[in-house]
Amino acid sequence: MIPTVAFKNRETVPTWFAYGAPLLTVIAALLVSAIPLAWLGVNPINIYYEMFISNPTGIRGVSYILVTAVPLFLAGLAVYIPLKAGLWNIGAEGQLFVGAIIGSYLALTFEWPIYVLLPAMIVSGGIVGALYGAIPGYLRAEHNVNEIISSLMLTFTATTFTGYLLRGPMQGGGGQSATERLPDFARLPTVIHPRLHIGVGLIAVVAVLVYLLINRTRLGYEITLIGSNPSAAAQAGISEYRTYITVFVLGGFLAGMAGIIEIAGVHGRLFEGFSPDYGFTAIAVALLGRNGVFRVLLAALFFAVITTGGTTIAVTQNVPTAIINVIVALTILFLLTAEFIKEHRIVINPDRESDPETPSGLEGAS
Amino acid sequence: MSRTAPLLEVEGLTKHFGDVVANDEIDLTVERGEIHGLLGENGAGKSTLMNMLYGLYTPTSGTIRINGEAQTFDSPKDAIDAGIGMVHQHFMLIPRMTVLENIVLGERETAGDTGSGLTGSLKALFARERNAPRQRVQELGAEYGLDVDPDAKVWELDVGEQQRVEILKALYRDIDLLILDEPTAVLTPNESERMFETIRQLVDEGLTVIFITHKLWEIERMTDRVSVLRDGKLIDTVETDSVSQSDLAEKMVGREVLLSVDKDEHPIGEPVLVADNVSAHDDREIPALTGANVTVGTSEIVGIAGVSGNGQRELAETLIGFRSTETGEIRIDGEDLTGAPPRRFVDAGVSFVPEDRYVHGCAPALSIMHNAGLKEYRSELFENGSVRFDYDAMATYAEELVEEFDVRGVTTVRKTPAADLSGGNLQKLILAREMNRDPKLLVANQPTRGVDIGAIENIRNLMLEQRANGTGILLISEDLDELLDLSDRILVLYEGEFVFETTPDQTNKWELGMYMSTGEEPQQSEPPAAITEAE
Repeated sequence: MIPTVAFKNRETVPTWFAYGAPLLTVIAALLVSAIPLAWLGVNPINIYYEMFISNPTGIRGVSYILVTAVPLFLAGLAVYIPLKAGLWNIGAEGQLFVGAIIGSYLALTFEWPIYVLLPAMIVSGGIVGALYGAIPGYLRAEHNVNEIISSLMLTFTATTFTGYLLRGPMQGGGGQSATERLPDFARLPTVIHPRLHIGVGLIAVVAVLVYLLINRTRLGYEITLIGSNPSAAAQAGISEYRTYITVFVLGGFLAGMAGIIEIAGVHGRLFEGFSPDYGFTAIAVALLGRNGVFRVLLAALFFAVITTGGTTIAVTQNVPTAIINVIVALTILFLLTAEFIKEHRIVINPDRESDPETPSGLEGAS
Repeated sequence: MSRTAPLLEVEGLTKHFGDVVANDEIDLTVERGEIHGLLGENGAGKSTLMNMLYGLYTPTSGTIRINGEAQTFDSPKDAIDAGIGMVHQHFMLIPRMTVLENIVLGERETAGDTGSGLTGSLKALFARERNAPRQRVQELGAEYGLDVDPDAKVWELDVGEQQRVEILKALYRDIDLLILDEPTAVLTPNESERMFETIRQLVDEGLTVIFITHKLWEIERMTDRVSVLRDGKLIDTVETDSVSQSDLAEKMVGREVLLSVDKDEHPIGEPVLVADNVSAHDDREIPALTGANVTVGTSEIVGIAGVSGNGQRELAETLIGFRSTETGEIRIDGEDLTGAPPRRFVDAGVSFVPEDRYVHGCAPALSIMHNAGLKEYRSELFENGSVRFDYDAMATYAEELVEEFDVRGVTTVRKTPAADLSGGNLQKLILAREMNRDPKLLVANQPTRGVDIGAIENIRNLMLEQRANGTGILLISEDLDELLDLSDRILVLYEGEFVFETTPDQTNKWELGMYMSTGEEPQQSEPPAAITEAE
């Protein structure tokens, strides 16, 4: 007899397992990642020590991690909020770009005092991101156009448009496709460490606000219902149209803010490669954290640890940066498996005859 | 093989799903040539038992004997080889294929010896004798009175004909025992009559039938013996002639059940719903409702009869603003709401019980609390002074509904997802949500379909109470007994139009059935004896 492997739904998940499973899977992912690392001739233990112990405990490392977590978290929420309403915003990257463009434009055009200019840059970045996000939201709500495709395509439009601006109207001196440096009064001040800009404070503020929005407001209830069953929600008088546009506007606002914060806080000028695909990594962040705002935050911090740690070891340990992508990919893969393992038991039967249950499980009891 | 052994003998048959005991030590004997009724509420274990007999589930313990020989079924194929056939409630036919193709589908009968090995198999594939199955199907059809054109495409057939194809499909495989799972659930009264004749003919030709239903009068009319299942246990097997319907209902539910409802007289007041010449399209943009006129007054129940798919869903959804009207006007309590969004209808006091409680009635993955508050979430009930939305108040509200409307199976209203409730309890929760707000108008589409008999009684009484409170109710139902029991007026919907209006005391099931299936006045003036007997 051929042994069969079956996946059964778990009726209850033990608490230790629910919280321990992600940790165990991360460890498993790191064990597997050790193979290519060893093959490259470096000691995985050194690498991991640097990534997870030494880097996140130093002031420099923490600063880099927090600064990287800002765009990841904000863009992660830009995916998470529409996801809560059942929509996929694949275009956070594009919304991030348009926010960066308008913010940089303001910074390079107006000589306003810093306490006027910076808020104006961030808010206008948010508004333009929101308008850009509203397009796929509107197309979905009004014409039932698939928001995955429209938001993704608008990302390419935004990045390409940025490329045009940087070689044309907004090009700075020196022949590079980048703007002039932003004046000092358009830069986010830093505290404690020269890289730690005050935009980091937004993480906490935004996390609390979005948490309250989803869990303590009527709008949050509407979003949850539309996301769970649009038909039942619509029959109860919840407007699918309004909700779809709202979630994309909110998401776009956060992603747009993330864009200009990244320019004003980290790079000091707009150039094409300012975002190492934050808007796309945000999808993974939102997926890992899809059960709550604070989980999105944890996921963003986790990704920030891996990416900044990766950059560091690429320099100190002389390994190619591509290996970091391998580690990140394996970790995501393993974490997604953790979700599945949490909800299912794996049953291996040497022989079908002795199968005590049918694959269709409890549904058959009717 | 012993000639004296009963056709089917089940002994100590038990089936566990995890900790749930779906079938507990079932003993059942089916004699050759009888029609054996199987009665039980949803969740009583009927389907589990039949699925074990048909090889879909492997029993946890116990034995199944056919003609005295113990059997183990690994798949339906083994069951069919042992002579057991089954017609499911939901047909398993491929609409685009012909009747004949559907019947022979899955059969690997070859014409003569084509040799072995790959070439042999290939030869068999192409050398299949095309006319042999056709002849066989025609013979079977003639023998059992199941006339269906073998070359018709299945999608062209009506529901009754499709069911006959299902039966032919079973008979084609040379069976002795046919299991019919709620065969009349999808049929009009007149089609059901024809189905009963077919079953009689099958038995006359030597077949044995297990007839699953939860309609008591069908058991009484059709079966020789009946077995009652409750909570996974076989309660009793009795000669049908020796018991009354109320005895059976009591065995099935475990307590006394009132089969008829008490309907008080209430004066009908001002119209709460006036729909004038309303037309609407279905999801494929094909006209489904063409010029419907209906008025519902306060304290009035207007019953809508009709075979499913004649515009009921479109009518219901139009009247709550969920589906847009093509023509016509809808007034709720005097206010013209034509073209308004569902929210305005909700605010005007319209409640709705959709036909499919999982797809349209609730968000299955969300908690009882989320679902209970769905119609009232904008009211001041859950306001907390500021913008804050008060989930604590919503949880309390949900607890009150669960308590008052006797919704069972709720652990905590915040944690238990709606999907965990049984069909009847979920329906009670939906009715609780819709009725607790004392609506002016309730549009109820099939509120008792697929619900246990105990819960049906409950739901019908709830609607009558609501009527006594002044709510006007538009009750769409395929259950004619329900319509005749509850309605003040009855309208028959046929191909998107109302073709007949009457009151319960001026009509009968046969007349309604004729209007439902033909849209015209019956040609004969007298119903056949069989129908009168059934009432």
